[in-house]
Amino acid sequence: MKESAATVLIVDDDASVREAVRSLLASVGLPARAFGTTEEFLRAKTPTVPSCLVLDVRLPGMNGLEFQERLAEMGNHIPIVFITAHGDIPMTSRAIRGGAVEFLTKPFQKDEFLAAVHQALDRDRAQRKEQAKISVLQSRHAKLTRREREVMEFVVTGLINKEIAAKLGLSEITVKVHRGQAMKKMEADSLADLVRMAEVLHSQSHE
Amino acid sequence: MSKFRSDGRELASKTGFGEESRGVGSSALPHSGGFFGQSADALIWRYGIALFFVAIALVSTLHLQRLFPYPFFFLFFAAVMASAWYGGPGPGLLAVLVSTLAVDYFLVPPFDSFAVNTTEGTYFIAFIVSALAASWVSSLKKKSEEALRDARDQLEIRVAKRTAELQRSNAELSASERSLRLLTEVIPQQIWSATPDGSIDYCNQRLLDYAGRAMQEMHGARFLETLSAEDRDRFHRSWQSALSAGTPLEGEWRVRGADGAYRHFYTRAVPLRDVQGKIVRWYGTNTDIEDHKNAEHTLLRAQAELAHLTRAVTMGELTSSIAHEVNQPLTAVVANGHACLGWLEGKRPNLPEARQAVERIIKDGTRAGTVIGRIRSLFKKEAATRDRLDVNEVIQELTVFLRDAAIDQRVLLETDLDPNLPKIVGDRVQLQQVVLNLMMNAMDAMRGNSDGPKRLLVSSSCRHGKEILIRVEDCGVGLSSEAIEKIFHSFFTTKPEGIGMGLSISRSIVESHEGRLWAEPRPSGGAIFQFTVPIAP
Repeated sequence: MKESAATVLIVDDDASVREAVRSLLASVGLPARAFGTTEEFLRAKTPTVPSCLVLDVRLPGMNGLEFQERLAEMGNHIPIVFITAHGDIPMTSRAIRGGAVEFLTKPFQKDEFLAAVHQALDRDRAQRKEQAKISVLQSRHAKLTRREREVMEFVVTGLINKEIAAKLGLSEITVKVHRGQAMKKMEADSLADLVRMAEVLHSQSHE
Repeated sequence: MSKFRSDGRELASKTGFGEESRGVGSSALPHSGGFFGQSADALIWRYGIALFFVAIALVSTLHLQRLFPYPFFFLFFAAVMASAWYGGPGPGLLAVLVSTLAVDYFLVPPFDSFAVNTTEGTYFIAFIVSALAASWVSSLKKKSEEALRDARDQLEIRVAKRTAELQRSNAELSASERSLRLLTEVIPQQIWSATPDGSIDYCNQRLLDYAGRAMQEMHGARFLETLSAEDRDRFHRSWQSALSAGTPLEGEWRVRGADGAYRHFYTRAVPLRDVQGKIVRWYGTNTDIEDHKNAEHTLLRAQAELAHLTRAVTMGELTSSIAHEVNQPLTAVVANGHACLGWLEGKRPNLPEARQAVERIIKDGTRAGTVIGRIRSLFKKEAATRDRLDVNEVIQELTVFLRDAAIDQRVLLETDLDPNLPKIVGDRVQLQQVVLNLMMNAMDAMRGNSDGPKRLLVSSSCRHGKEILIRVEDCGVGLSSEAIEKIFHSFFTTKPEGIGMGLSISRSIVESHEGRLWAEPRPSGGAIFQFTVPIAP
């Protein structure tokens, strides 16, 4: 299975574990960067390539689960693989609810660990792909004029040109022109395509 | 034997009193014998005897006069001298007077008359003067004789008194010697003395009885035979160094009794010096401390068991923290193992990386082993040992176990250890138990403050160059002055699930290390528990 470039980030306060995990990942061709504390992790640059975080639950100061929540608040959706010496069920379910890919108990086996890491990386790739799509749509959407955006809003809710013209106090012809411009700028093939795009944009603006 | 001596003393004192009473009697004798006292009877007797002597002289002279052609007065001189001798000057003069009258009347012409012829006058006066002289000489002689006898009597009295005193002091001396000897035999200690070269020259009966030996079997090196073989060298060294330095000997050793059993004895010996400071003799005592030793040993064993038990309980509370500490290196070992295989796989194995992974496996495996070793030592039931220890190492080894528990309770565990600490002498596990206990207490004390800072600081420092101070500070609920008094008592606890033994055991451990453990409130809230341990000599 051919992988595109990816980076695994590790946060564990134990240097031995950190180094062992880094080496294990490197041995299968996965570059990894290790951090002793969450602060160090936050100070580091976010990788531009698909990445995931291998996070120890027990950390001095803020623990792994709290850090997961903090990252979400910050809008950082990096997929997380938790590792812990003694995880209990409430801890596991909390981590999974928070979006964790996997919750592994130390010492973990190579296969389950790598599977989790790959799953996390795949998720990040998908997220990045999605994010890239959204970015394209957002940049296209940004090119619309104010009128074109208003017309598009009403179009995707299923109103016909006549109704839109009445709502906006415009002529039906003008609405038709704006609608054509919007479809063109958004590079939408069909009305259905435009509706889907509008949904994506909508979900982003709500987040 | 003592009975006999006791009787002897009574006898001596009786004789002493006898001598004294006789002395008093003899001192009264010259008065009654010399002058017959001053009573009327004595007076009559003294003057009467003068008249009696003169009468005898007169009768004898009247009879003898016929035999001689010339006047014969000599017997009167004898009567005068005898009267002066026995009666004194007064009766002497009376005898002179009566003799003069008798001579005048019977022997000087005209006879049978007191008249005196002028031709005989000179001769008669010569008689009177001679008689007076005889009386005077006789009474003088008598006086000096009496003075002499008086002096002799006085001397005799003095001698008698001295003799009595001497006998009394002798009796006292022997009594005190006997009571001293009794003391040396009766007191519950073995007593001995030795010559300046160290050879034993006296042992009290108690010592000889214990050893089952006679005095001659204790001389010189034979004394050493009674010591247990392991202690002989040590005793010999101590004794020789005491002898050469002239410093007191002090030590404990096992000594074999007559029954062959060994008992612990505490020996102390001091030198006696003369005015020049030269050692004259050594005096020593041996005290049987076997029972004391046994009791001490039993107490120590009980304490050790209790300490072990509470240690096990405390360690039990730390199980998850300890598991974490073992699990970390194991995780690294497994991951490194997989990594190593990963590096070796493929067409071009990465040997340097594989080697590094194996090296890390060794390191982590060793680390896990060390952690387990420490746990084992904390759980082990072992008699207390005394080793040279680095206090910082003792603390650091322990904080490993608490690290995870501290993270769990969101306690910031900090250490401030002076890197230049001198070594101490102590039992590693016991000291770790004390630090563990104090740290666990500190964490428990901070359980309540959810918003405030939870900081636990363990520090070490050297105080006055003679002891190490270990402090455990927390920002917990703190201590009331009432609690500070009681926390070190057994079964006193402020914790719902506590048994109240931890601090009491900690204190006895610290005290067995000749240190001190105490608590005080932390000025900015919380408490400081601290203890000292003297630095190794």
